[in-house]
Amino acid sequence: MPRNRGAMTQVDAAGATSTGAAPEVPQVEVTLTVNDTEHHLRLDSRVTLLDALRDHLGLTGAKKGCDQGACGACTVMADGKRVVACLALAAQYEGRRITTIEGLAPNGELHPMQAAFARHDAFQCGYCTPGQIMSAVSLVAEGRAGSEEDIREFMSGNLCRCGAYPNIRAAIRDALAEG
Amino acid sequence: MTTLEAARAVGPGLDRVDAPMKVTGKAHYPNDFGYPGLVHAALVHSTVAAGRIRGIDTSAAETAPGVQAVITHLTAPRLEPGPMTLLGASPPTPFQDDRILHHGQHIAIVVASSPEQARHAASLVRVDYERSEPLLDVHDPRATVVENPWGLDSDRGDVDAGFAAADVVVGGTFTTPDNTNNPLGLMSTVASWNGDSLTVHDSTQWPHNVRATLAAVFKVPESGIRVLAPYVGGGFGAGLRVWPHVILTVLAARQVGKPVKLVLTRPEMFTSVGHRPDSVQQIRIGATRAGDLTAITHEGLSSVAMEDDDYEPVSLCSAVSYACPNVRTQDRQVRLNIPCPGSMRGPAEGQGNFALESALDELAHELGMDPVELRLRNYCEEHPLLGLPWSSKALRDCYLQGAERFGWSRRDPRPGSMRDGRWLVGYGMAGVSYPHYQVPCQARASLHRDGSADVRSAATDIGTGTYTIMTQLSAEQLGLDVSRVHFDLGDSDMPYAPQAGGSGLTSALGNAVGAACRNLIREFLDVVKDDADSPLRGAAPDEVSVSGGRIHRTGAPDQGESYTDILTRHGLEELSADGRSTPPQPDGGGMATAGAFGAKFVEVRVDPDLGLLRVARVVSAIDGGRILNEKTATSQIVGGTVGGIGQAMFEETATDPGTGRIANATFGDYLVAVNADVPDMEVIFVGGPDRATPIGTKGVGEVGLVGVAAAVANAVHHATGRRIRSLPITIDQLL
Amino acid sequence: MHPFEYVRATDSDQAVAVVTEDPSASYLAGGTTQLDLMKDGVLDPDRLVDITRLPLGGISHTDSSIRVGALTTMEELAADPVVRERLPFVWEALLLGASTQLRNMATIGGNLLQRARCRYFRDPTVAACNKRSPGSGCAAIAGIQRMHAILGTSDHCIALHASDVAVPLTALDALLHVQGADGTRTVPLTQFYLPPGDTPHIENVLRHGELITAVEIPLLPAAARSHYIKVRDRVSYEFALTSAGVALVQEDGVIREARVALGGVGTVPWRAWDAEDVLRDAPAGADTFLAAARAALGGARPLPGTAFKVELAQRTLIRTLETVAGAES
Repeated sequence: MPRNRGAMTQVDAAGATSTGAAPEVPQVEVTLTVNDTEHHLRLDSRVTLLDALRDHLGLTGAKKGCDQGACGACTVMADGKRVVACLALAAQYEGRRITTIEGLAPNGELHPMQAAFARHDAFQCGYCTPGQIMSAVSLVAEGRAGSEEDIREFMSGNLCRCGAYPNIRAAIRDALAEG
Repeated sequence: MTTLEAARAVGPGLDRVDAPMKVTGKAHYPNDFGYPGLVHAALVHSTVAAGRIRGIDTSAAETAPGVQAVITHLTAPRLEPGPMTLLGASPPTPFQDDRILHHGQHIAIVVASSPEQARHAASLVRVDYERSEPLLDVHDPRATVVENPWGLDSDRGDVDAGFAAADVVVGGTFTTPDNTNNPLGLMSTVASWNGDSLTVHDSTQWPHNVRATLAAVFKVPESGIRVLAPYVGGGFGAGLRVWPHVILTVLAARQVGKPVKLVLTRPEMFTSVGHRPDSVQQIRIGATRAGDLTAITHEGLSSVAMEDDDYEPVSLCSAVSYACPNVRTQDRQVRLNIPCPGSMRGPAEGQGNFALESALDELAHELGMDPVELRLRNYCEEHPLLGLPWSSKALRDCYLQGAERFGWSRRDPRPGSMRDGRWLVGYGMAGVSYPHYQVPCQARASLHRDGSADVRSAATDIGTGTYTIMTQLSAEQLGLDVSRVHFDLGDSDMPYAPQAGGSGLTSALGNAVGAACRNLIREFLDVVKDDADSPLRGAAPDEVSVSGGRIHRTGAPDQGESYTDILTRHGLEELSADGRSTPPQPDGGGMATAGAFGAKFVEVRVDPDLGLLRVARVVSAIDGGRILNEKTATSQIVGGTVGGIGQAMFEETATDPGTGRIANATFGDYLVAVNADVPDMEVIFVGGPDRATPIGTKGVGEVGLVGVAAAVANAVHHATGRRIRSLPITIDQLL
Repeated sequence: MHPFEYVRATDSDQAVAVVTEDPSASYLAGGTTQLDLMKDGVLDPDRLVDITRLPLGGISHTDSSIRVGALTTMEELAADPVVRERLPFVWEALLLGASTQLRNMATIGGNLLQRARCRYFRDPTVAACNKRSPGSGCAAIAGIQRMHAILGTSDHCIALHASDVAVPLTALDALLHVQGADGTRTVPLTQFYLPPGDTPHIENVLRHGELITAVEIPLLPAAARSHYIKVRDRVSYEFALTSAGVALVQEDGVIREARVALGGVGTVPWRAWDAEDVLRDAPAGADTFLAAARAALGGARPLPGTAFKVELAQRTLIRTLETVAGAES
């Protein structure tokens, strides 16, 4: 398995804000509950949930593919429902239970959907994959993975430019069959 | 050569070795990296397509909260041009003068403490332009035309005589629009200087090119630059070149003395990292009543930026795909005030094949001949320009096995004759002869005393499966289980690798890895050549086999020993060896080096009232030489086909006629195929190892896309009787 | 994005008061339009009042209507069994609009207030946009026209209203309950939107600070059938090129009641009153449907890039009418 080389540090809270935002930029105090952990942050009020996760909490699993709500790469769950984190203001999501790809199977095991994606080669470059998996897990919870037509329709908010769609569907069918 | 007995490592569909990283979100793409003290950049773009910057007012931006620097052509230092590369000249170095060559050109970079601050400050920069009228249309008579840009125009036989001898002549004008690569990963650069040394994370398909370019532009030694790209969020050609934003990020980092991150926005992805240029193609094909081709002429006209190169020989496919005695192909480029085009998955072939294979379908229809039969009748057993047999060519099997799998024989050739309820059903097909491409590559292999191996090369895996197939290949070549092999890439400190592009990396890298592994075995044999305790003493490389972590004499499994035993006995921690590959000459060894071949069979449904077009089925039959991993290779073909569906039906980068602004530069407006547009597909691999190189592979990254547009258009004709010669095929064309 | 002060509202009256008094304040609900346009630099409020904690959710039912709190998400509304059973074309339009992720965020109130998708409106580097900068002109008319409107346009604006669910809601004469600083009022959806005329920047009758609190949707008669068809290039996840929402009550092959609205073609969700007049008391059949479709598009003002939409919209409406008329109830 490829390793991440250690010379670089991950994005962390200190990285983006330690240089100090100028005082005239409005700030907000926000408590975000992410993957069952509470984080107290002081943020520029403009920071989106996606940027809060990525730049301030070091949770880079959710990806930025368009920053316009049009590609689904940033899909996370809020109170169990899938949302695009790029069109969510971080402050607005205080008190809501956020789940990211990092929290899907916290104990080092793979969630059945993650395992199915690996087995079915349901990705290539992998950039859309965390969003696809979060969407797929939600799809099952929504009861919409029962028919091929439903899977196609209700997974269409997640673009995959590498074109792994048939394998994504196969992975979902397989994960569903496993229960 | 060392005999390989543990062939199981290669071929079957091993799951991607990087899958656990990718499904857990732990794979780190360039914009996932940061540094303490990291600051953020945002770009300012020209809002006119041609002219000069008369004045640029950065005062509001400079005093905006958090801003640390605003750099423009007025404040940027003189930078050197990038080098000439294997893919042509580097894009123009940014910020060297006041000229505007296209809408969206970077004209300032703003650095601030946070991305929010940088982007807002960028919006405060005010620019005063001296406008000139932009050239935006390939038909604009004022535009400069470059004739025969690559010296690849071809002319064989006598096309006038060929057409005179024809019973039937078909053809017309085919057009394809600008397409934008749009990998899902926003192209990003993180640059960090430490004195004269520089570390760069970049969304590149070619780390060594980034290193060489930055060294040239900033006049620093290559040895001090490290470029990292362990994971890249796709590329499809957008990461082949070192684009101006990369240089600007590195410049900004040097200017502010801190690490800088720049993440392009999705709209910037349309103007900053290349695109497939539009084409206008004239094609004519003549044939006898029996279906023998007598003449082909194919002329391609493409757009190119004012001061840049793009390799896009659109018509060349017509010179090398069929046995036809009289063929003339010709390409021209028109210089316009547009963002630099560049390679996009299946460059040139993607456009040219649409015209060639559509025109052949017209010919088959005119002749009343089956389209597959027409192609078989004009099959070329030899390379038409070189007159040599191919190093491998199983295109005949592609046609025949693909047709069989698809059920092509059920096709009623009369247009509009097949229905499914309200839907018209159409079957269409196209052939593909993809060109061969390979450039030199290096790799290094090491075997450790614990019996594990490390193999590495500075290549990239942009989703192609390189991590996985090189792990498999190394395991095979060293006789190890794949779990004992670690293959690493994406770091310019590793041995030189060329770009992931041109469908050339698998062969280039595979042969380098193969050579490194063979050299490593040679090293082991060297160590024991005088070792009385070794059953391998004095054995030559061609007398041994490898399997199960052991080298043994071929045919005598008990006369051998493990790598671990050799290293332990000789007090060595590890042995390493380098390997390199050089591409076979195009006519080397009396054969013409072949790229991949393929046949695409497509079933479409058309709702004639509403103009709806759906792709219902696709069968791809591919000759990709030796397939190292059926699972990832299949994904490459399926993925290419999805890109082809996009090209056929959705994708068109629209430019405002007056201003040169891209009018649909978002994922809401530039349509790529979504899940619901894509049917399940069948992929079959035919043929066997290619003879041109030791490992026998041919790249399959692009052959999946090429041919889809023609096959869809041909299926639309079969369904409706309408010949669509302009992509994409949209509702308005089918009403 | 322009910096702004984030304010979390806990009380409707207070929220309305704050925004009414501050011309540079805006409401924030689902955020899918508001935040998107703020990122693009099209909207630049100094103060953003987050109303998502206000008690404006929930769906209540009577025998004749559904009252939907303005903060109800599109997914929540689509999950309502009465919507699915009694208003199938509303249910279909909800699910054909946006992705599930966006439907989980977007509120019904916000959906009805969504702004134009026009790329000339959404790109502040384009100088000419009367909707964004009154009096500056309209770059779209001379630009790429395919996704623009053909009904209700003016020489000053051709931007489309892209909501799907507004189409059947317009056909149903839904009512908007609105709270302002001076009290509450009720506005029929058919009178809510304003065609661009020479004031494209004024898109509806809301005054600054007024807040939609609920949408009241009348139910169809039990005998009615309805359907929504959306035509677009992709199978899914794209704004409509054309769409039609139709509800019919038929009696012995004769149409007794008809509600028809069109999407993808109008600068506002387009109630096809003329088509309804043709359909009412006419036999359900091809001639009637063709006449209705022609009547619906009678006022179309296409440009070269939108000419195909006149025919496509008619065919879309005919297909929808055929489907509803032929469907088993």
